[in-house]
Amino acid sequence: MTTLPAPTPTVATSPAHGPAGRAAGLGAVLAWEVRKLVAQLRVRVVLLAALVVPVPVALAISAQSQPPKDTLFGRYATTSGWSLALLILGFAGQWALPLLTSIVAGDVFSSEDQHGTWKTVLTRSTGRSTLFWAKVLAATGFAVVVLAVLGAATIASSVLLGGGAPLTGLSGQTIGDGQALVLVAAAWASTLPPLLAFTALAVLISVATRSSAAGIAAPAALGLVMQLVGALGSLQGLRTVLPTTPFEAWHGLLTAPRFTGPLVEGLVVSAVWAAAALAIAYVLVRRRDVTGG
Amino acid sequence: MRRILITLALCLAVVGAAGAVATAIGGGSTVTRARLERSLPAAFANRYLAQAELLGRRGLTAASLHPTAMCERGGPDVPDVGAGSDWVCLVGWSDPAVPMPPEGYGKFEVAVHANDCYTVSGPSKLVGFATIEDVRGRTVTNPVAEFDACFDPAGDDTPTGVTYPSVLQPLSTALTVGPDGRTSVQVSCGAGAGGCAGTLTVMDGTRALAEVPYRIEEQATPTLVVPARVPAGAKTVDLVFASTVGVAPPKPVTLPVQ
Repeated sequence: MTTLPAPTPTVATSPAHGPAGRAAGLGAVLAWEVRKLVAQLRVRVVLLAALVVPVPVALAISAQSQPPKDTLFGRYATTSGWSLALLILGFAGQWALPLLTSIVAGDVFSSEDQHGTWKTVLTRSTGRSTLFWAKVLAATGFAVVVLAVLGAATIASSVLLGGGAPLTGLSGQTIGDGQALVLVAAAWASTLPPLLAFTALAVLISVATRSSAAGIAAPAALGLVMQLVGALGSLQGLRTVLPTTPFEAWHGLLTAPRFTGPLVEGLVVSAVWAAAALAIAYVLVRRRDVTGG
Repeated sequence: MRRILITLALCLAVVGAAGAVATAIGGGSTVTRARLERSLPAAFANRYLAQAELLGRRGLTAASLHPTAMCERGGPDVPDVGAGSDWVCLVGWSDPAVPMPPEGYGKFEVAVHANDCYTVSGPSKLVGFATIEDVRGRTVTNPVAEFDACFDPAGDDTPTGVTYPSVLQPLSTALTVGPDGRTSVQVSCGAGAGGCAGTLTVMDGTRALAEVPYRIEEQATPTLVVPARVPAGAKTVDLVFASTVGVAPPKPVTLPVQ
């Protein structure tokens, strides 16, 4: 591997090198990783899609003559924009969010394999731990940004383009617009812990398989399988420990009285999954032999 | 490729192992009768009040409705726990404009999902059809005909003690006479506490032909054999129910003889 393929944005040495030519610190390496991400067309397209796609989705669902009653909040999705935003949140948690975060997290390590650049980044600029955490932080940051963009775009387009009826909560109660905005935004925000768990899972798969295709597709596919398994009523114990279950923890915010047990449980489950996946990925990166590749 | 397959197999194995441990530790379903019996009346009251507002009715409150529910799953042999679409909730409430039937409740069909949310279909006789006409004459979705709700998976699970009786109804539309001259009538005992028991008297005019004591489990449709011959020439017979458990038709049921 002597030639460097063109697609890797070879951001020059200056931000990666610390003072006096020593290995760069975490901040510098993070800045370097972020610049590499921002330079990728794929990342820009995903962010743009997260911003724009909710508009046609909201329009398409509102225009249906029969509301999608078989899904939670589908019953009033055509008459209430708040319901529409929560219906889309339900679908997003099932597969869209794991897929969106994997597009970066599932590629951030394996792209170095694809381009054969491990030796370049490790021998010249920084240590493995610093590089590992910089990449994880960059992927985490992208997850936060994509959730914020998708959530804000969905809520805005649903409320502006959907029906004007008030939100019907999960205890049958009617929720006023002011409170509905807070609750719907909180519901979207509550999917961050499982989203970060999937980010860590994508990082692990990216590190372990050294394949971007697997890193991007596998977490989304795993998420779908977990959703199906979690929906089986007979596997209650398994459901509790799956990282897909916290994607539904926001239901408790919309009942009266509210319950937050699943949110706390989801936070713990997500943290365990993220910690375990990152720990394994870290060991794999530390022990990896890059001299051959 | 091998590396990819090994990694994915390991991921699945970890998920499976975690699940096996969690199941072994004891993860009983969070879907229970008591949680449903507490959650459903509250959601029902909110939806009923939403309907009242659409209809322009005033003076109803959640407290004045005072709904209570008895829920159960499947028949008497099915434990009342776990997700499924075979839950039934008997809900009684007080609304001066909508008197309850003699048994004191309406039967709601409930599909409970593994995520502790459920979908309720109400009895159209008591709550109206899927769409209603609101006070301004527009056709709108009936908030009570079908609604979704969720309960707290860690919510109070002590029994509520609410019970409602089963309803006994004859299913046969005619009294059939077998080749041996014997007759039988099929009845149904609906969902409720304790099933149905009592005595069925088959009357030919004013004369009692036979007395058939019955004891039926809830959610069963047995055939009661009448140990007497119906006189030739009788066009109809009356079935008179004297119920000790459950609710039976208060008036005699007249069936043609075939």
